[in-house]
Amino acid sequence: MTAPARIARTTVSQVLGTRRLIGLALLALLPAVIVFLSTSRASPASRLETFAGVTVGFFFSVVVPIVALILSASALGDERRDQTLSFIVLRPIPRIVLAAAKIGGGMAASWLVVALGAIGLGAAMGLRHGDWGHVVPLLAGGLIATTVYAAIFAPLGYLTERATLAGLAFAFIWEGAVVGAIGALASLSPWRIGFSAFAALTPDEVLPYVPDLALGNVMPGAGGAAAKAVVVLAIGVWATGWILRSRDLI
Amino acid sequence: MTGEHAATLDPAVVPNPTVEVNAASKWFGQKVAVSGVTCSFGPGVTGLLGPNGAGKTTMLRMMVGLVLPSEGTVSVLGKAPRQNPQTYRNLAMVPEESSVYGHMSARRLVRYAAELSGVGDPGAAADAAIAAVELEDAADRAVSGFSKGMRQRAKVASALVSDPQILVLDEPLNGTDPMQRLRLIGIFRRLGQEGRTVIVSSHVLQEVERMTDRVIAMVDGKLAAAGDIAAIRSAMADIPYRVLVESDEPRRLAAALLASDAITGIELAESGFHVETSDLRLLGTTVPAVAKELGIRLRAFRPEDDSLESVFRYLVHRR
Repeated sequence: MTAPARIARTTVSQVLGTRRLIGLALLALLPAVIVFLSTSRASPASRLETFAGVTVGFFFSVVVPIVALILSASALGDERRDQTLSFIVLRPIPRIVLAAAKIGGGMAASWLVVALGAIGLGAAMGLRHGDWGHVVPLLAGGLIATTVYAAIFAPLGYLTERATLAGLAFAFIWEGAVVGAIGALASLSPWRIGFSAFAALTPDEVLPYVPDLALGNVMPGAGGAAAKAVVVLAIGVWATGWILRSRDLI
Repeated sequence: MTGEHAATLDPAVVPNPTVEVNAASKWFGQKVAVSGVTCSFGPGVTGLLGPNGAGKTTMLRMMVGLVLPSEGTVSVLGKAPRQNPQTYRNLAMVPEESSVYGHMSARRLVRYAAELSGVGDPGAAADAAIAAVELEDAADRAVSGFSKGMRQRAKVASALVSDPQILVLDEPLNGTDPMQRLRLIGIFRRLGQEGRTVIVSSHVLQEVERMTDRVIAMVDGKLAAAGDIAAIRSAMADIPYRVLVESDEPRRLAAALLASDAITGIELAESGFHVETSDLRLLGTTVPAVAKELGIRLRAFRPEDDSLESVFRYLVHRR
């Protein structure tokens, strides 16, 4: 295994402490529990309406940002807090590679938890509605949104000890209130980028039940969403590498 | 005057340096941590001495590239480490702060260090480094349960595992017991004798004395003294020592001691008196002798100036 892969793997076990993992896993599975319990005697239309509402209003807009925020911000934030940054930076590894490894680790840890939630939610719909075709779109959308959040929150976690607070303000004030009210800003909302991939891939019967604020002016499209995620990730890696090169690392 | 000739005259620089600090300053906002320091380090052990807050840690962090100089330059093997990560193949640091992953075992930690440094056989290298610091018995325990001394040894093993040519150690003996200290000092001396550059910071002169003859002393962010430890010691001999003397009749004893050549000043205190002397040994024989002659019981004779801080300050003000 290469040094960057080692760093990424260590980051995953570092940020996924037992208590944190249990707490975030329970949060990630909550949408599945809600859908499963609230649709037991619902009509097909009602099931789809509940599923779309929970997917937009809870899974993408709450679970994905919180999981990605906490785990990605910890990728570098925990190193600074625990004073272990010198252990990894004083190595013959270019800083941009180090940045990619740390973001990759935070992203992988977030993916694991978000994937658990996506599979749970898709399974709940599969069991109740008999359609398992939502699992892959939920995974794809969740992973794309998580990638964008990780690219933003990993450097933020290094820059400020209040990364969680800043991230929550971003997720709930900016994405929730501001972008929710002004649809033209939807492409600046990471979870909406992920949701646009979900909307493009999920069975068509769900779309009529998706609230307008979920997409704003973003068109459903998996390729476009993935491309945006790659661009944001590249910028995030470059910015984090620059920070590690140009700032005092204490 | 040639550079080489200048180097032989300035005790702060060495002829064939591996680490060079050139007019380096570092400030954090309004606080100046290091101010215009020029010095260099070569093969062998060099002690970086100074009281707490002298700027030693900032200086070491600049050397390894954790902190960027606000002014001046620092180079390791002719390059700035931060701009040239390959420098870290030959450079390792043991920081003063925690810098260990508590959830890992010592063996896993040292192996991780080896893997990140690109060591060929990380498992074997980790075992050898752990053996070098005599941590085999605890190697498979989580570092979070270690005492401070054991953590220090785990950190030293993590630094040694990549077999670095230059080793920078920030207060590496802190928290270690006398046996561990002896062992670590032996390791550092051996590394120095092998031709590696070993830079060890400490605020305890006696510790450094056991490792090396060459010292760079810092106070208030400035270079206070450099060179042979004996020369610095002789400079310290000019400083008056201060001793607290306690007895049954302090006033009578103090009055009798005033006539002694050993004493340069006396100040009465609540339970005794403070004596200033330039010859601690002479004072040590004079005070008991006078007390015995007067039939006065001596309760305490305690040097008050064991801290090096006053010595370093003296060196700075003398410059």
